[in-house]
Amino acid sequence: MENEKAVNKGIFEAEVLSNQQIRQCYYRLNLQFDAKGSRLFENVAPGQFSELDLSNVSLPETSMIPIHLRDTSAKQILLRRPFSFSDIVVSPLTEGCCVKAEILYCVLGPATVRMMSLKCDDRISVLGPLGKGFMVPDGLKQAILVAGGMGSPPVLHLANHLKQHHPDCEVIAFVGAKSIESFPFTVRIGNAKNLVLEEFERIGIPSHIATDDGSAGYHGFVTDNVRHWLENNPVDPASSAVFACGPEPMLAGTARVAKDFNLPCQVSMERMMACGIGLCQSCAVEVKKNSDTEYQLCCKNGPVFNAEDVVFEEE
Amino acid sequence: MEQNSNLKVDFAGLTLASPVITASGTCGYADELAEFMDVSRLGAITTKSISLEPRKGNPTPRIVETNSGMLNAIGLANMGLQRFQDEIIPVLQSLDTKIFVNLAGKTIDEYVKVAQTLAHSDAIDGFELNISCPNVKKGGITFGTDPKLIKEITSAVKDVCLSKPLMVKLTPTVTDISMTAAAAVEAGADALSLVNTFTAMVIDVQKRKPVLANRTGGLSGPAIKPIAVYLVNKVYNEVARDAGIPILGMGGIRTVSDALEFIIAGATAVGIGTATFVYPDTTKNIIDGLATYCKNEGISNITELIGCLE
Repeated sequence: MENEKAVNKGIFEAEVLSNQQIRQCYYRLNLQFDAKGSRLFENVAPGQFSELDLSNVSLPETSMIPIHLRDTSAKQILLRRPFSFSDIVVSPLTEGCCVKAEILYCVLGPATVRMMSLKCDDRISVLGPLGKGFMVPDGLKQAILVAGGMGSPPVLHLANHLKQHHPDCEVIAFVGAKSIESFPFTVRIGNAKNLVLEEFERIGIPSHIATDDGSAGYHGFVTDNVRHWLENNPVDPASSAVFACGPEPMLAGTARVAKDFNLPCQVSMERMMACGIGLCQSCAVEVKKNSDTEYQLCCKNGPVFNAEDVVFEEE
Repeated sequence: MEQNSNLKVDFAGLTLASPVITASGTCGYADELAEFMDVSRLGAITTKSISLEPRKGNPTPRIVETNSGMLNAIGLANMGLQRFQDEIIPVLQSLDTKIFVNLAGKTIDEYVKVAQTLAHSDAIDGFELNISCPNVKKGGITFGTDPKLIKEITSAVKDVCLSKPLMVKLTPTVTDISMTAAAAVEAGADALSLVNTFTAMVIDVQKRKPVLANRTGGLSGPAIKPIAVYLVNKVYNEVARDAGIPILGMGGIRTVSDALEFIIAGATAVGIGTATFVYPDTTKNIIDGLATYCKNEGISNITELIGCLE
């Protein structure tokens, strides 16, 4: 039977270009997609993600494994692991393998421990592109990006995308983390307590930092920082939007702030998932429907949802 | 379309293009899978469980990975019979493969109502009776562990299946699986599928709580394969062979040799589940591999291998 539905995702190979430690447990992995992957990712939207098969990647030397992960990292990997991107670069002049992708990851379990040992020329199986990404509405004049900790990569991807494809749109980024040590970015210390996130600075996007412990920037949650800024900098709800990714309580907080200022808000959700393509039904997100709620799938209906639809799990 | 004549099998009166079937709950409604493979090469697709009323399913986390396996506690999330008829049957109708609908319910009456309604649909070729789901409070495994209840539910559903074959899916979480298998066969089952997942638990040692919101889940994946092969062989020897009832064998199949083990142990067809989550084209690779194995071994039809264990 000929499959009439347009094929928009697939399994392909990626070659590791580089795998560098940014700081502590944060790493940057740069991949070159093969011809099939490049075709599939040519028009990928920021916020769409992929599933990597890391089951054949070997553990690094024991001395390289963070002490607190040595016990659990011995566990074998069976399932793929979902990763969003911090950037996807398409080189229009290159034929075939024209897509390069960047993944920021944090070493926190048996799969990401294995990723530490990926080196130049290694090949891994990628499944993607998956899910629905951020949707940039027509006529968007101002984008307010809100990122928390390891939720930051797809927000950076969106920032890169907006700079390239929507040059008239003013972009401002709010980035929060537990402390000065826990930003998954290249951080430069500027004036007293002032952090500069080079990834945003490079593309001319001002970033406002918040830390839970006050070790850098605004002392408090990133959501409170966004609220203060909006109180002092009125924006036009008709041509502005909020885009957020991070821990669920942060997304819930961002959704509240956006609602208070009548701003449309898209949030990128995270769930434990196996397949990434809607088969296993494990990544349920509770969504409002009429007067009731239903479960939708983070991998297929998301990971980006309209914030007002989501019933957030707040602890 | 590429078909392998050496893989054609008869399964409870249905002619399958190959002995490879997608396991319930691991292939959606096949539309997702069609992006990765030609579904006409599959022997059949087993839909996820359909119940009379829609079911939201369990809260998250619904899955957790284990060594060489995973636990799931989805909770039979599904859209219910009405939407299944309206939205999914037209999709299934367009697929060039056999379709088994997996039936779930809280009461015998609910199972019967779903089967009775769907028995009239041309898009559906057979049923799989799910009396072995470990992740719901009512129905599921409570039916599957009691031979008396198995007989009752099997014969009640069989009565309304019209000419469509009824396959009963067995849980491995019993003392003697041959007793539950025999009960299903005595009550009129046309085929047996085994095994469903093993009830299991993973604990978060920091929180000292189970990882899954449902506390327990069903263990699947390569970790269970040797046990599943043993149970298929046991049911084949003790029940199915003499009764002339085919077995759909499953549990952790990921490779061609895994599938062959089940067939040699006594399965007429094999179900692929968890492996599809990692490589959605697993079934295609297994079908290709089985055809190559038959060719290399001089086997004219794969049915020659069923239960050939020495």
